[in-house]
Amino acid sequence: MYILQNAFRNVLRNKGRNALIGTIIFVIIVSTVVALMINNTTGNIIDDYKSRFASVVSIVPNMDRMREEAMKNSEGGRVRVQAPIIPSEQYMEFGNSEYLYNAVYRASTAINCDDIKAIDTDLGGQPMQGTVFVNGEAIVPTSFMFSLQGNKFEDFKEGLRDLAEGRMPESLNECIISSDLAELNGISVGDTFSFTSEIVFKGSSSMTDNQIFETRYELTVVGIYYDATNEYTMGGRKNAYTNRRNEILTTYETVIVPFVPDHNGITVSATYYVENPDMISAFAEELYAKGLSPIFDVKTDESSYNKIIGPVEGLRSISITFMIIVLIFGGVIIALLSSIAIRERKYEIGVLRAMGMKKHKVAFGLWSEMLIITCLCLVIGLSIGTLVAQPVTNVLLAQQIEAAQSAVSTPGMAGGMMMASAGTMSTSPSVTPLSEIDILLGMNTVLQIIGIALLLATFAALISISRITKYEPIKILMERN
Amino acid sequence: MSVLALKNVTYKYEGASKTVLKGIDAEFKAGKVYTIVGKSGAGKSTLLSLIAGLDVSTGGEILYSGENLKTINRDDYRAKSIGVIFQSFNLLLTATAVENIILSMNISGSREKDKKAYTYALLQKVGIDRETADRKVLKLSGGEQQRVGIARALSHDPDIIIADEPTGNLDRDTAAEILKILTSLAHNDGKCVIIVTHSRNVTSVADEIWGISDGKLISVKHH
Repeated sequence: MYILQNAFRNVLRNKGRNALIGTIIFVIIVSTVVALMINNTTGNIIDDYKSRFASVVSIVPNMDRMREEAMKNSEGGRVRVQAPIIPSEQYMEFGNSEYLYNAVYRASTAINCDDIKAIDTDLGGQPMQGTVFVNGEAIVPTSFMFSLQGNKFEDFKEGLRDLAEGRMPESLNECIISSDLAELNGISVGDTFSFTSEIVFKGSSSMTDNQIFETRYELTVVGIYYDATNEYTMGGRKNAYTNRRNEILTTYETVIVPFVPDHNGITVSATYYVENPDMISAFAEELYAKGLSPIFDVKTDESSYNKIIGPVEGLRSISITFMIIVLIFGGVIIALLSSIAIRERKYEIGVLRAMGMKKHKVAFGLWSEMLIITCLCLVIGLSIGTLVAQPVTNVLLAQQIEAAQSAVSTPGMAGGMMMASAGTMSTSPSVTPLSEIDILLGMNTVLQIIGIALLLATFAALISISRITKYEPIKILMERN
Repeated sequence: MSVLALKNVTYKYEGASKTVLKGIDAEFKAGKVYTIVGKSGAGKSTLLSLIAGLDVSTGGEILYSGENLKTINRDDYRAKSIGVIFQSFNLLLTATAVENIILSMNISGSREKDKKAYTYALLQKVGIDRETADRKVLKLSGGEQQRVGIARALSHDPDIIIADEPTGNLDRDTAAEILKILTSLAHNDGKCVIIVTHSRNVTSVADEIWGISDGKLISVKHH
């Protein structure tokens, strides 16, 4: 206890020397606070964006390879560029991978029901098969009025659909329908209907030995939803089947109950999420090994990620580099100052040792002094660093964005980008880089700064201690005398 | 029984060819004032630093209450068993007189309840008033610093008090006062006081005088 008291007194007794050491430690701490706050905040942002952009797997046809393939298979000079279709069973198989932390499946099929009248029945339905030959005879394909959609609930998340009554389907053979369809047919929650569908097994070569199997779904309406989506997608064919009010929504498991591999009728699609964006190459290898056509590229959405996060990563890199430089230079200056300071204090150490103070207590006293100075600097440094961090970040981020924009402003580099998830392709809106970051002082950052400050104090004290322990008190006092 | 005994003590500085102390034998008892006299460079201060536990003899043994200084913890010995009054005072200059003494008491593990009151009383005893006691050592005169040095040496109530030229920097009156204090410590408080000196005034108060010459200790006066 008396060592700590003496350390406190010593800090006050040697104001000039301690103020100099304190100033250096203060500068290091402020710089470290700013750098760590930027680093940790940007780190969280990057992790968040990585999980959102870089982990979703896109299986996208490669246009160059498609053209090459089409050229090879061209007949009579006519080149037909067409992406191959990924079979439903492949989508299911691809989902069984150790590289994935999640695979979200969707399934759909065309259905009819004798007891329900579809909206826009007068526009007719839609045949799902081309000309089908059964036992050598062409049969008229069934025209379907409804679509049964398994696990297609994203419109609810986007607010375009909302449950009016009942609940969402959870178990097998439960479904929800639009309020328009319910009103047209007087359907209430709890009603059960029988729907029919078809599964077609296409023959091997002659195309004449196809087989059609009728399948049946007994579905209970457990909910009715308001539908604010467009009835028809832009440019699509208008009939009862394509009218979105006629979509019967159910679980993925319900739709695939009658699924048979190598049969048409049920379409499966999937969205895959890799555990880590770095695993994408290994996952792609696995997909090709499982039979994915080499025409497809397997990738994560790196371009969006890079465009949004690029400046933030630049900022993070600058902050870390800056912190390392400050720590190295600061450490060297502190080492020099400590070394000079201990020379001045050699006599004092000699007196203490002559009085019988043990070496480890002298060392503890020196360390305590450094710790007191560091703690003081830590409190002030944390406060000032927190105030300074946001404006520093704004300036640095603005510079990074400017640098990134000037880099992409060269012809052919700008514009939006294509984004495709497995089974569906869509054009994403043009993404813009993050222009604002709210720098926060988290507990993690505070602990890291305290750790660095303690290390600094210990480092400075060690420099002093290593020197004083080499001397015996008599030698120090004799030198003085 | 002797408090301190030197048996065939020799000392040679590291790397030096000359042996400073050659087979010294002596005994120091409680309640007596001893003075060690000799020419400059004769080895008086070296002998004192060995007795004070600041250095270790190269040969022979120094026994404190029968225990060899080489085998006991010399930090504890310095902190608790002896009090050293240095010629150049060796006080913490930026600390006050009171702080110097309280620190010494803390190092020795003193169980005094009110250390501050005890320190003021001790300083009063050696002629330092309260106001002077609260001043930084740096601002005290040589005589005042020497008194603080004496008070510090007494603060932890050691068995042996060693003084290296305690009156060397003082005027005649102050020197006389200091010597009075030291002899009182031996004769009234039963301490063993060993003084290294050149001064005849100092040797006049000694119970025993030892002379050091050619690395050997010779008894000059024995009461």
